[in-house]
Order: sequence, then C-alpha cells, then structure tokens
Amino acid sequence: MAQVPPLPFGPAAGGLPGVPDQLSVETTVDQERAIVQPGVKSDELAGAPELGFWRLAVIRFFHHRVATGALLILGVIVLAAVVVPVITGNLYSIQDYRHPYKAPFQNLQHILGTDDLGRDELARLLRGARVSLMVGILAVVGYLVIGGGLGALAGYYGGWLDNALMRFTDIIISMPFLLVVIAVTAATGGVRLSTVIIVIAATGWFEIGRLMRAQFLVLREQEFVQAARALGASNTRIILRHILPNALAPIIVSATLGVSGIILLEAALGFLGYSIPPPEPSWGNMLQNFEEYLLSDHTYLVIFPATALVITALAINLVGDGIRDALDPRQR
Amino acid sequence: MTFYLVRRVAIGFFLLLLMSAIFFTLTRVTPGAPVSVGENPRIHQEQVNRRLHSMGLTDPNGKPYTVPESYVRYVVALVHGNLGDSYQYNEPVTTLLMQRLPNSILLLGAALLVALAIGIPLGIYASTHQYSKADMTTSIVSYIGVSIPSFVLGIYLLLIFAVFLKQTPLHWGFPLFGMHTGGVDDPVDLLVHMVLPVTALAILQIAIFSRFMRASMLEVLHQDYIRTARAKGLAVERVNYKHALRNAILPIITLVAIAIPQIVNGAIITEGIFSWPGTGQLAFQAVVDRDYPVILGVVMLVAAGTVFFNLIADVLYAVADPRIRY
Repeated sequence: MAQVPPLPFGPAAGGLPGVPDQLSVETTVDQERAIVQPGVKSDELAGAPELGFWRLAVIRFFHHRVATGALLILGVIVLAAVVVPVITGNLYSIQDYRHPYKAPFQNLQHILGTDDLGRDELARLLRGARVSLMVGILAVVGYLVIGGGLGALAGYYGGWLDNALMRFTDIIISMPFLLVVIAVTAATGGVRLSTVIIVIAATGWFEIGRLMRAQFLVLREQEFVQAARALGASNTRIILRHILPNALAPIIVSATLGVSGIILLEAALGFLGYSIPPPEPSWGNMLQNFEEYLLSDHTYLVIFPATALVITALAINLVGDGIRDALDPRQR
Repeated sequence: MTFYLVRRVAIGFFLLLLMSAIFFTLTRVTPGAPVSVGENPRIHQEQVNRRLHSMGLTDPNGKPYTVPESYVRYVVALVHGNLGDSYQYNEPVTTLLMQRLPNSILLLGAALLVALAIGIPLGIYASTHQYSKADMTTSIVSYIGVSIPSFVLGIYLLLIFAVFLKQTPLHWGFPLFGMHTGGVDDPVDLLVHMVLPVTALAILQIAIFSRFMRASMLEVLHQDYIRTARAKGLAVERVNYKHALRNAILPIITLVAIAIPQIVNGAIITEGIFSWPGTGQLAFQAVVDRDYPVILGVVMLVAAGTVFFNLIADVLYAVADPRIRY
C-alpha cells in the first residue's frame, strides 16, 4: 500500500476528518497507476472494465460470426493476392500454345487449367485480384481524401462551398456513372490503371462527401464543440480533434462498402475494355470473351473470374455490415 | 408549389447544360482525330478536309472550330433536336436513339415493374415477420443480389440456361437472345426473349427495394401511433397494412427515381450481353467503337430522363404526403 498524494481538487481532496479517504485507504498499486496515469490499461481495475469505444467495437465485431468469417475469407484473398504473385513471378503472362484450354482440377501444374493462350488461370486470377484490390483500396482512399475533406469543410463552414458541393452532387447523381468514367478515361488518353483509379476517385467521392457533411452539420452544433470553441480552440483543432473522431463511424462503413462497389465498377470497366489493358489480367477483362468461352463450352474460364468477383464483393459487404453493427449497436 | 416547380425545371435545364458542356469538352479533348491522314497515303488532304467539314468539325474554309465554338454549335443544334451524326453508322444520333429507345423502355420498364412487384411485398413480409426464417432468407438473398453486378448475373444466367441446361427443355439457346424474330408482332416470342435480361436487371433492384422496404417498415412499426393503434385493439393486419404501410411506402417513390439511372447503368452492359437492341446496347457498342457523338447522345438522354424523373418523384412525394410543403 503506497500513499497517494492528495489530489489538488475534487471531492477526495484532503478527505473529511473521520471518513476514510477512498483513494488512500482502499487503492492498490495498479489502481493508483490507472488513476494517476490515465493512458495505462485499466483492465485490472476491480468492477466493470472501462473499455474504449473502438475496443468495444472490435469485440462486438468478432462476436458477429458471419462478419468474422467474411473477414477471414477476405484475409485469405488479400494474402493470396499479395504473396502468391511474388512467388510465381510472371507465370500469369507465360503463353503455352501447345496447351490451351486445359481443363481445371486435372493436374497440379495448372490447378485451375489454362486459358485460350495456355496461360495459367490461377496465376491470372490472383494477379487480377491484385488489380481489383489495389483499385478498390486506392480509389476509396481518394474518396476519403476528396469526399471527406470537402464534406467536412462544407458541413463545418457552410456557405458557398456547401452550396457548390450539393449542386455538384446533384449533377453527378443524375449521370450514368459508367459512361462518365468511360468518357473521362477516354479523354485523358490511353487506358492506364492510374487513370482508372483517379477517375473513379474523382467521380465517386460524393457519397462520402454528403455523409461527412451531414455528420459535421449535426456535430458542429453540439455542446462539446461549443465548449471547445469557448476554451479557445482553433477551427482546425475543432475539426480534426473534436468533430472528426466522432464523425468517423458511418464514414468507415461507407468506405468499406465503397471498396466492393469500386471493385465491381472496375470489373465492369475491364469487361468493356476500359480498365487495365489486356496482357495484364483483371477479373473484368478475363470475362471479355465470355461468349466465345460459353459457345466453346470452356465454361470454367467464365465461372472462375465471375465467382471470384462475387465472393470478394460479398465478403467485403459482409465485413462492412459487421462494422456497421459493431460501431452502431442501435441500428441492428 | 408553382414557383417551386419553375425553379426545379430551371435548375434541371441548367444541370443539363453544364453536363453537356463537361461531356462535350471531354469528348473533344480526347486524343485521336476522327479522320487521320497518315494511315492511307492515297487519301488526298482535300478529301480529308471535305470529310471533316461534312462531320461539322471545320468551317467552310477548312479552319477547325475551337472547343467553345463547336460547343455552341452543338447546343444550338441540340435545341433544334439534332444531336449530331454517329461516326460509326453515318446516321443522325437522334434517329439511332429513337429506333432503340422503345426497346429499352420496354426492357427497363418491365425490370422496374418486376422489381417493385417482388421487392416491396418481400420487404413488407420480412419486416412484419422480423427475425423469422423468411426474414433471414430474404436478407441473405438480397445480400447476394447486391453483391452481384448485373453483368456478372447476366453471364451466370447465360451459363445456366444456355450451357448447363443444353440437354433439357429449359435450354435457352443463343439465337433466342435479342429480338431476332417477331418483335412486337409476336408478343409471346418477345416475352420469352425478355425473361433473362429482365431477371438480370431486376435482381439488384429487388434486393435494394426489399432491404429498403424492410428498414422503412421497421422504423414506422416502432413509432408511437402504431403502438396506440395496437393498444386500441385493431387487427394486426389493419395496423400493419393500413397504418404502417402508408407511411413506410412513401420513400419508395424517391428510391424508384434513384433506381432509374442505376437500371440504365446496368442496362448498358446487360443489353450488350443479351444483344437486346436498346439504347444500352447502342452505348455499349459506341463505347467499344469510341463513337463519341453517340455516347454523348446517350448520356444526354439519360441525364434528361434522370432530371425529369427526380422532379416527378418530388412532386409525387408532395402529393402523397400532405405534411410536405415546398
């Protein structure tokens, strides 16, 4: 039992004569540490453990069996997409004209068979997974930077920026997204992956922008923001330290679901020949010759990329919904 | 209300103008000339000039129009109902659009009706039987529906009905796709052709409608006036279908307006996959051919349609819900 220095203020300061001071009498070393150093884990405190919002959310997420399973599947896909192509190198582009259309599950050399040019289907699928995931993640980062930034500023400051944002969103919403992306991609000359990512990010951020704006509109009027302002916090500090952390939950959900949306969009673009050009495989451009494959009964060349696409999108959506439930238990 | 309508229409026109400006500039700054000289040495520069002039890209002296100049010309022509000529078909874009539009409206309208007819009752049932097996099944199926893009769904449908079921009477052979035979004169044939593309387009919307309807119903069902109605001893059906449904179904109007551009988006690829001769297939082909006047025309058509349907949705909303005033 160590003596706790008397607190400078508060109910326990000094302690009433005759009444045992809570802190000095009953505390253990750990408890003291928890009180004196708030950053230290407070798990060992007697009674209910004080868990932070994010830790509780993580716990809730892993209690959700479907979401956890989806996360596991997604993890396997990401790991395979990141690691395997490094080992296999350029296997995805090696053509073997003697063995085109090798059926899947027949030999170990080409587990998922080969395509019309004798290229290994599995290697191409994994290479394509890389493309899909990279586009999905980078474009969502773009959404967050553009949409999150503009939405926050529009919601916080209002005024012309807010008006401009809302009108611009009206325009974007009334356009056929696919054609927009195609026109912009074509206009920027040549189809490169970087262009596709930038174009998707530049045309798709408005949903997160609107969400962020709505969050800021509500939060900027709340007492804790007023308190911060009264204490003299600058606008930057209020936006970044006070409002942003509280606005994040729905943004994270929307961003997660955005990844699957982008992956499907990229596949549609690839299918139309407006994503990464052919020697490089993507799930979309692997489906480009579907008619030929269907007519010649090489259905596996259609099934594999299409199913990979659906499983990935499904897994991301399930994870996203799991996160939603974890962050906002009221919404169940 | 009148003032509101006038304002909305004015904003709508402004949006269309802005959108056309953006798209027009985009298609003009795209690299690659419509007539290239270097490719064939036997083509005279004079012939090239004549062709460029006939395409409306240069003035009579052979001087190419600048982008703003040609945009003004485009808008003036647009007001006269002229969207320019297709590079690929050598025909006015308006003619092409008018040929294809009825087919698209037929397909998209059918898909929307099917989606509404299935999605809304499904959502209502799921909400009144929350956490039942039927509710869970609906949730799972709508999940999968949202995660499958319509083009992958179209390919799956072809795979099942054209390849896997080849030996069965359910077989849906390739010649059956598109409107190769009959057309409007043979309604049964037309219907048979529509089944697969309508399914491919409707599934996503069914998923969206049923999820939305369920959420909307659940929200209303937890409100006080519903509890009051129940406490009064009204029959469950009456509370659910009369008191709750009326309020819960309102937002669907907006959702349908939002769904229209989505269906059009899906239709661009779905029509291409099923060789359905609509505007979507026209756009699909134009994209492959890089036929910009046609792409521009389709974009303008869709944008105009979206602005129009959003307006209709807002007006309908005000009519359906007396609490809303503009």
